[in-house]
Amino acid sequence: MAAPSRAPRDAQALRLVATFLRMGVQTELQYRANVVFSVLQSVVAVATSLAVLGLVFSHTDALGGWSGEELLVVMGVYVLMGGVIRSVIQPNMQQLMEDVQQGTLDFVLTKPADGQLLVSARRFELWQAIDVVLGAVLVAVAVVRLDRPVSVIEVLGFLTALVLGAVTIYSFWLLLTIGAFWIVRVDSLVELFDGMYQAGRWPVSVYPGWLRIGFTFLVPLAFAITVPAEALTGRASGWLLLGAAAFTVALSVLTRVLWRVGLRHYSGASA
Amino acid sequence: MDDDGGNGPGSGGQPAIRVRELRKTFRVAEREAGLRASVRSLIKRAHRDVDAVAGVSFDVAPGEVVGFLGANGAGKTTTLKMLSGLLHPSSGEIAVLGHTPARREREFLRRITLVMGNRNQLQWDIPALDSFEMNRAVYRIPEAEFRRNRDELVELLEIGDLVRKPVRNLSLGERMKAETAAALLHRPQVLFLDEPTIGLDVTAQKRIRAFLAEYNRRTGASILLTSHYMADVQALCNRVVVIDAGQVLYDGGLRALTTRFSAHQTITVGLPEGGADLSGYGEVLESTPDGRTSLRVPKTQAGAVAARLLADHQVSDLTIEDPPIEDVIEQVFADRSAVGAR
Repeated sequence: MAAPSRAPRDAQALRLVATFLRMGVQTELQYRANVVFSVLQSVVAVATSLAVLGLVFSHTDALGGWSGEELLVVMGVYVLMGGVIRSVIQPNMQQLMEDVQQGTLDFVLTKPADGQLLVSARRFELWQAIDVVLGAVLVAVAVVRLDRPVSVIEVLGFLTALVLGAVTIYSFWLLLTIGAFWIVRVDSLVELFDGMYQAGRWPVSVYPGWLRIGFTFLVPLAFAITVPAEALTGRASGWLLLGAAAFTVALSVLTRVLWRVGLRHYSGASA
Repeated sequence: MDDDGGNGPGSGGQPAIRVRELRKTFRVAEREAGLRASVRSLIKRAHRDVDAVAGVSFDVAPGEVVGFLGANGAGKTTTLKMLSGLLHPSSGEIAVLGHTPARREREFLRRITLVMGNRNQLQWDIPALDSFEMNRAVYRIPEAEFRRNRDELVELLEIGDLVRKPVRNLSLGERMKAETAAALLHRPQVLFLDEPTIGLDVTAQKRIRAFLAEYNRRTGASILLTSHYMADVQALCNRVVVIDAGQVLYDGGLRALTTRFSAHQTITVGLPEGGADLSGYGEVLESTPDGRTSLRVPKTQAGAVAARLLADHQVSDLTIEDPPIEDVIEQVFADRSAVGAR
């Protein structure tokens, strides 16, 4: 067969992802008991956050220029993005680390499909995606309570920023995991990332300058959470979104390059 | 079934696998035990180059089943990994079905498979059937062809009931059968099998063995197989490539291996009067009360010893045999590691 052109290849990739998604859902449906636990966990987490938010705003009207409703948007995005991470990104990356440690990555690399795609789409934890729904509800509630109408453009900007944010977080995670090609034990990174992600429940503008820069470019919480929230609350200019898009593309390309370098190292081509 | 048609390297045409002067050198960090050495190695790392594969050449013809033998650390797995494109050779040439494996072209990967007995690729929590479905998507097997291949494999391996259970509920033998089926759904033309029967009970081993022979017969695929079980090799391979310390020690027929590497033969002699002490003729391996004695003698003297036995004693019967292949291989590695401990 001749080398397939770009379009059929992309269609193929989508079909592959769709199959993996279907299998993931089928697997999760076998563990229905998990749903109760997951829902409970999500509800408790959100309730705690709401309580903290309520407490803060019982003392003040605004935090770093954000009103209570606006911060609810930030929290909604935080919960939503957390759901994306825990249902798709984290399970796949953990599997990748295990595969590197146990040598089962060999099976992935002997498959006639893009390796990065395979390692990124193999797992899907359905019940963790409850947070995506819960986060969306929080955002919707917040939008209704905002004292200004939200335009269609702002909603579109918000959705775009969400997708960019998800890609950014994915790239960041994969970058960390690629470290496994050199240092075999990177499990603790998961906990480290979890800890840092907690900081995303507040807009990055509430943090002091050096932390803000860190949360923007080192751990891209700003792009993942704050920027979408800014888009929905009328704070984001077109330039900011463009900047976010540029950052996302740059990070994706860097990830792709390092993935290849990592593979070369894994297969001993660099030695 | 085994008419030797496609077997033997001389069957003409392009070889399915062609390996020339293949080398793989690993750079390993070296440090002595102890805290002080650990600290020192943080600052200045001492490296040593280890030749895992040091100039290996061989061909495998289309449809041929070749046993790839060697002690642990001889370079078998490293070679298999280079053949399947997982490792880049340090030097040398490989062509598998005309492809250079290290390029990992999809067309190449679609035509081969890799099975490692000690590692599984099936997902633990879902039934094998679902993993098959994933492989269908990855290999882009057309639906009708997929069904046909799957049903054929399921039938041949007798795993009809098992493929619906989550893989974690299967026994090791059952899992290995399912693994094998998953690895062959796309009908690969070249199979790299690294210890496909390791840890399995005798029945399961036999089942896998019979299946592989049948698969080879039906599809004409080439198989390169490593195994610690000589029964696997005897049942499947006419030819073996023995490697040691990264080099080919022997490449040829299984029977000829015995002739070449065994310096001894076993003479079994029956003496009706019994009771005679035959230790003067050779090393007595076994002596039974009914007067049968087995002697281990150097191959070059076997004829002479037999003649002497016949002249000196009243002999009812006498046979001269090569030792079992397992013993020969064991001998080969024992001798080599004694010589080449480095």
